[in-house]
Amino acid sequence: MIIAGTVLPLDRANVDTDQIIPAHNLTGIEKTGLGKHLFTGMTGGAELLARHSEAAILVARENFGCGSSREHAAWSLADRGFRAVIAPSFARIFYENAYNNGIAPIVVDATEIDALLESIFASIDLEREVIARDDGGEVPFTLDPLRKQFLLSGGYMKFLASKIETVRAWESAKGSPRA
Amino acid sequence: MPQSLFEKVWNAHVVEALPGDNALVFVDRVVAHEITTPQGALEIEREYGDTLYDPGRIVAINDHVSPAKDMETAIQAKVLRDWAKRHKIALFDIGQNGICHVVTPERGYVEPGMTLACGDSHTCTLGAFGAFALGVGSTAQGGAMLAQTLVLQRPKVMRVIVNGRLQGGATAKDLALHVIATLGFKGGTGYVLEYAGSAIDALSMDERMTLCNMAIEAGATTGMCPPDETTFSYLRGRENQPTGEDFEAKVAFWRTLRADPDATYDREITLDVDALRPMVTWGTNPGEAIALGAQIPADAEASSLKYMGVEAGSDLRELELDQAFIGSCTNSRLSDLRAAAEVLRGRTVTIPTIVTPGSQAVKRAAEREGLHDIFQDAGCLWTHSSCGPCLGMSMGVLAPGGRCISSTNRNFPGRMGTGGRVHLASPAVVAASAVLGRIASPSELGVVDATATVTATEVRA
Ligand code: SF4
Repeated sequence: MIIAGTVLPLDRANVDTDQIIPAHNLTGIEKTGLGKHLFTGMTGGAELLARHSEAAILVARENFGCGSSREHAAWSLADRGFRAVIAPSFARIFYENAYNNGIAPIVVDATEIDALLESIFASIDLEREVIARDDGGEVPFTLDPLRKQFLLSGGYMKFLASKIETVRAWESAKGSPRA
Repeated sequence: MPQSLFEKVWNAHVVEALPGDNALVFVDRVVAHEITTPQGALEIEREYGDTLYDPGRIVAINDHVSPAKDMETAIQAKVLRDWAKRHKIALFDIGQNGICHVVTPERGYVEPGMTLACGDSHTCTLGAFGAFALGVGSTAQGGAMLAQTLVLQRPKVMRVIVNGRLQGGATAKDLALHVIATLGFKGGTGYVLEYAGSAIDALSMDERMTLCNMAIEAGATTGMCPPDETTFSYLRGRENQPTGEDFEAKVAFWRTLRADPDATYDREITLDVDALRPMVTWGTNPGEAIALGAQIPADAEASSLKYMGVEAGSDLRELELDQAFIGSCTNSRLSDLRAAAEVLRGRTVTIPTIVTPGSQAVKRAAEREGLHDIFQDAGCLWTHSSCGPCLGMSMGVLAPGGRCISSTNRNFPGRMGTGGRVHLASPAVVAASAVLGRIASPSELGVVDATATVTATEVRA
């Protein structure tokens, strides 16, 4: 699968989920329709998004998605058409949420970020695990081999549903895991 | 093979190994609140026949905006309530509720050796009991309700040895801020922080919860404290725990959950807290913290300084405040309220000050000993229990540029309202600042150690 699209350069570190989507927008009960709130908690966020309204790939600095566990951050990105976030590091919960919502969280060496922030366009090959930059360069990355399947074929929940019998068997063989 | 506390808990819960250092991990308890649960619950209802693996392992709590503030939040609460009733899930609702991380231990739903998951990043609070407790997204929480498991990459383990004794007004909150300032705001990413050392052994359960609550603020997966007599006596006789021999049998098992003496760790740090004094944050993440009275560092991040309207080299005590808040899953338990009351007794606040107990049970316990009178005599607003101002979602939202001293855990830009500025500190420091209208140490009011006279009586619902 190739994710190709224009880049939204977010030249900041520690972009927390309150900036991605503020708490007062968390009043729904569904995963859909949250794109309109994206980056409304960030100084200059709305303008940045307006300048790159077609972007499918976000490039940011370290520790992207830190803070609250709100999956709304991933849902609002997905709703605005983002399919990948490239950063030197991610906070754990956002990293997991991204995979579960069809957004590839791509970890690259910090030294690659400056050039990627300058890119207008990028193409990400999920199978080969390389980013083709618009200046012709290639940047390698590694995806989680299991979660990659959630991206390619969808379905964290589906995967877990397929495990229910295994879990029941484990539980009855073990007795209560709490002893 | 000698094992750490984390490894003992983890190994006992791995259902199967999965590719890429992932594992399918059994979840003993799922905690479900109204903001992040409906999405997964509704997906299970639509796609998987509304079947839950074991509703008896779920606890549902309306907490973030409770009572509801408008129609949308009323719908969230109703979805959680109706779903809980339909599946006969234990439900804590208006009148008996509180912040989920306060109610869960209070009602005896967490114990040593357990695994817990909740769609809330501060679930790490419960690691205070020697449990592996972590925040997850709504989809992962949904998966844990559907198949009682999480897909997790095995975290690394960092042993954090804390020697010495908290003194001179330093509290568990100051220790938490010290740990984050030492590791850096993302220095714990990928790790479980396994606490050890004499300072940890001396902490009450309330204090251990304050410390573990902020593990996520160093980026850590969670924090864990070794279970000991303090843990067992907290749980003995508690709701949802067995009594008599059944309980003692559990204690015998819990005693085995200490780290083996020669267990190895991926990283180890040692801190000494004898010289630790009250801390306060100056910036826009919890790692940007200094000792109260110290100067903002010369190499401070420019964007943080700008957002907070402060300058490198300046003293935070010069800043005028617009609001003070005592509450949140970090610092709203009875001992926190007692410490704040110690400072506020017979004094008057000079800025709007909101005091929000962590649960209705804490509220009632506080009122039985007259703390509500101390707060209200001082001019504070004494509220019902909820997350309240902590997340800028309902009451107590700051105006742009408004400055608040807060006993919460996050000072991110916009956390308590767009443009609002938050300084994190202990309840005693918040109380002293509320009196003086600027960031202040309790010692400026002649209160050297507000916690010294406070005993941690653990609230029972
Ligand atoms: S009190 Fe604040 S940090 Fe704690 S669960 Fe509620 S909103 Fe989150």
